[in-house]
Amino acid sequence: MNDVPDFVLFLGRFHPLVVHLPIGFLIFAFVLEILGRKKKYNVITAATPLALLLGFLSAVVACILGYMLSLSGDYEEAALDNHFWFGVFTSAIALIAWLISIEKIKLPKKNKVKANISVLTLIVILLSITGHYGANLTHGSDYLTKYFPFGKKDTSKELVKVEKVEDAVVFNHLVQPILEDKCISCHSKSKKKGGLSFQDSLSIAKGGKHGATVIAGKALESEMIKRVLLDPEHEDFMPPEGKTPLTEEEIAILTYWIDNVHANHTSTVASVETPENVLHIASSMLGLKGGAHGGHHGSTSDVVLPKATAANPSTLEDIKAEGFTIRELVFDSNLFEVVLPPYTKKPGDDLNAKLEKLSKIKDNIIWLYIENNNLNDDHLKTISSFKNLQKLVINRNGNITDNGIATIENLNSLNSLNVYGNSKLSKASLDTFSKINTLKNVYASGTGITQKDIEVLNKKDLNIVL
Amino acid sequence: MCDHHDRLKSNNKDLQSVEKQLDRRHFLKKTSLGIGALALGSLLNTEKAWSSIGNSDNAAVNAFTRNKLGLPHHLPKAKRIIYLFQSGGPSQLDLFDYKPKLVDMYGKDLPKSIMKGQRLTGMSGSQSTLPVAPSIFNFKQYGESRAWVSELMPYTAEIVDDLCFMKGMQTDQINHTPAITFFQTGHQLPGRPSMGSWLSYGLGSDNENLPTFITLVSKNGKGQPLKASLWGNGFLPTEHQGVQFRSGKDPVLYLNNPDNYDGTDRKKMLEYLGDLNSIQHDAYGDPEIQARMSQYEMAFRMQTSIPEVTDTSDEPEHIFDLYGKDSRDPGTYAANCLMARKLLEKGVKFVQLYHQGWDQHIGCPNGVKFKAKQTDQATAALIKDLKQRGMLDDTLVIWGGEFGRTVYSQGQLTKTNYGRDHHPKAFTMWMAGAGVKPGFTYGETDDFSYNVTKDPVHVHDFHATLLHLFGIDHERLTFKHQGRRYRLTDVHGHVVKDLLT
Ligand code: HEC
Repeated sequence: MNDVPDFVLFLGRFHPLVVHLPIGFLIFAFVLEILGRKKKYNVITAATPLALLLGFLSAVVACILGYMLSLSGDYEEAALDNHFWFGVFTSAIALIAWLISIEKIKLPKKNKVKANISVLTLIVILLSITGHYGANLTHGSDYLTKYFPFGKKDTSKELVKVEKVEDAVVFNHLVQPILEDKCISCHSKSKKKGGLSFQDSLSIAKGGKHGATVIAGKALESEMIKRVLLDPEHEDFMPPEGKTPLTEEEIAILTYWIDNVHANHTSTVASVETPENVLHIASSMLGLKGGAHGGHHGSTSDVVLPKATAANPSTLEDIKAEGFTIRELVFDSNLFEVVLPPYTKKPGDDLNAKLEKLSKIKDNIIWLYIENNNLNDDHLKTISSFKNLQKLVINRNGNITDNGIATIENLNSLNSLNVYGNSKLSKASLDTFSKINTLKNVYASGTGITQKDIEVLNKKDLNIVL
Repeated sequence: MCDHHDRLKSNNKDLQSVEKQLDRRHFLKKTSLGIGALALGSLLNTEKAWSSIGNSDNAAVNAFTRNKLGLPHHLPKAKRIIYLFQSGGPSQLDLFDYKPKLVDMYGKDLPKSIMKGQRLTGMSGSQSTLPVAPSIFNFKQYGESRAWVSELMPYTAEIVDDLCFMKGMQTDQINHTPAITFFQTGHQLPGRPSMGSWLSYGLGSDNENLPTFITLVSKNGKGQPLKASLWGNGFLPTEHQGVQFRSGKDPVLYLNNPDNYDGTDRKKMLEYLGDLNSIQHDAYGDPEIQARMSQYEMAFRMQTSIPEVTDTSDEPEHIFDLYGKDSRDPGTYAANCLMARKLLEKGVKFVQLYHQGWDQHIGCPNGVKFKAKQTDQATAALIKDLKQRGMLDDTLVIWGGEFGRTVYSQGQLTKTNYGRDHHPKAFTMWMAGAGVKPGFTYGETDDFSYNVTKDPVHVHDFHATLLHLFGIDHERLTFKHQGRRYRLTDVHGHVVKDLLT
């Protein structure tokens, strides 16, 4: 296979280009003949023989180049054979059609027109079949039908959805999607670049021209990993220039599969040793945690995001009209940061009514800033139903008391609370803080809470800043 | 020809009759100029024109929850940022990167094995020897994190447990202008958008009465000049450029109305001006006109918003004491630190401070000492102040220069004096606040603080990490210009995950 001279392979690569010439010429001949049946266009049939001759000649050239290309060994034999023989056959029929048209093959006069049309129709059919086989070779056999509107989707390949990342089968759920996304277009059964196919477990095990592609337990020695880790400028870098390279996360998954899963096709994430970072990547690939919007890009944020339904635009408009600013914190997550700028409240304004409006989107809010706005205990009661809050900034609202703080003890996603300058707060609020398990940081400078109170509370994972 | 001519007309009914008259008189002139302008416009500016068409209602969308660029990509940690740029290249050797072994090397030539054939600047490259100059300052470890800090930074020493030191910083540039430009824009040549512009473009504004990105240059810095391209918008729409405040009593000039003018009809005047501008915009479609309109409107709103933020009279005594006595003198580094905090409180996203003069080619000990004295207290005060207010939770603070300084002395070395040249291959910076590990030191240098031996952080990596903290995947915030997509990190950069909480 490898002793084919480079020059032959070089010429072979012109096959996909040249192959369009006979298609054009022959179909054009068909069109001429059809149109020529009309009296008005009678004369144009004079060009048919020329079109057929050019079609035949270019078909022969395309066949030869095609044969040269096939010598590269990058293609599956069976599919190749079909394409090859149909190509040859089409060329032969084109020759016959030409001979008929210049009357070297004589047919009874009155059948001539019919004969021409039928041979040409046959040619068009053959061209279509040949072309189809050819396209299957380059694009894969499901290329044409993949988006076929009425067909049943092939569900046999569809994966069972997993609920927990631990249940995911490493190969099926994590590795295969990467290969299909980035590699399979060149490494499949029908198109084996470098003699390598990633279509199924057997072919992966078989490897490519240079032998094994995957060495179980030795990712860095495996051709698959070596190639994707090369400098992108390097000639052997995979995927080749112009294709989207693997992300770091994707490489981490492949490496993990070879090293920890020993490149088998059945182990689940739970059954092998799985490092923390791979767990993160895997869950975001599977869309199991918030922040999965980036797909394979994955999010390194370890904060779990709640699911929220889309807020009604007119509701948002209303809330904005009340002076709140709303910003989506992760694109398309429907999770918001809401800020009421300091001193927004004008005399006569009813903060209660504002918050009432705001509570229409309470599940969408994860960061809430209401600083220096005369917020009081009653308002906090309303806010205590904003159960997805992760950050609450209510500093410099001097009216808030320990009782108000006590009402937010059920905010069990809260991890940062800012009560700076709320001078009525005392150590009683520390109890509330310590009841909120998720709470990590409290900013309580300028309150009645003292360093001593904090020492007495002695809660290690709760950081209270004075 | 007539076609083009028609396109130059406005959509404003009132003006159309006037335009007809104009037509007859200036037909030739206008058409030729007009076509020229159109052609030129499309030659130079198509990207901009197109992109701005895409973004024309960006502000509205931003203000209204859904970001047109698909940002943020993930949950941000940081909401705002103060970048304390120490311009000139502070000596890591005299401040943070403690190298006790150098004492034994005093005056010896810097080993070739360390230099690895590095090209030096023209300033020290021709020296016959490169004598090793150990720092004359004492270092001690501080805090629970046991971070090394020299005696020059006593206030910073108090806050080390809030800082995340990066001792293995690296840049590609050895001279000031390209190095600063590289730090601020990701490229050594001027013309790319600055970090602040990228953030403004990507994330929009949090307070429409103030610019998103403000630059403050301290008046007591003095040194290598800075220029506006460092906070420029490059090819991004103009409204994203940084707005520089003057370093003095009046940070923005002409905010007050002139004598005998009560300002009542200014709004009306601006509305008319806006109408005229939009007629011009209809005719030429130049996005710069829109940018100008929004800048005028911003300026109008700043008449009331700026005096409010720049007024420090409501700050209590103890705050001035915290920032040091300079903080009462508007325009100094300390006063700017305080102003930066106030700006952030009002919803400004990016405040960029510059303090010049960290360029100690000669007289390094005295120079560094002086610069440290000007900045140390206020820097630490800013961190403490932000922390106390809970703002450090979502504010990122960055301290650092454009490169470091050499271990060898530029010029004569004596027991008490030495100079240090530029050194791009290893230097120290720190970050604090939103999403970065507090009390943490990342990266190590060799015994000469010359090469990074562990965990380098390149400028591109720094940028990638910074964007990451704002919820942005640095590979996916792009802008198409002159036929290709640009990023702050261009084709480089890795998020340094080890720095993140
Ligand atoms: C655009 C087509 C294309 C894509 C996509 C592609 N490859 Fe390749 N691959 C090739 C070609 C062509 C060769 C043979 C030439 C060579 O050895 O460099 C090859 C060879 C290889 C080989 C060496 C096989 C051997 O034994 O010689 C490996 C391993 C490989 N690819 C892995 C990958 C992986 C992993 C991906 C997905 C990330 C990928 N390729 C995606 C075209 C592609």
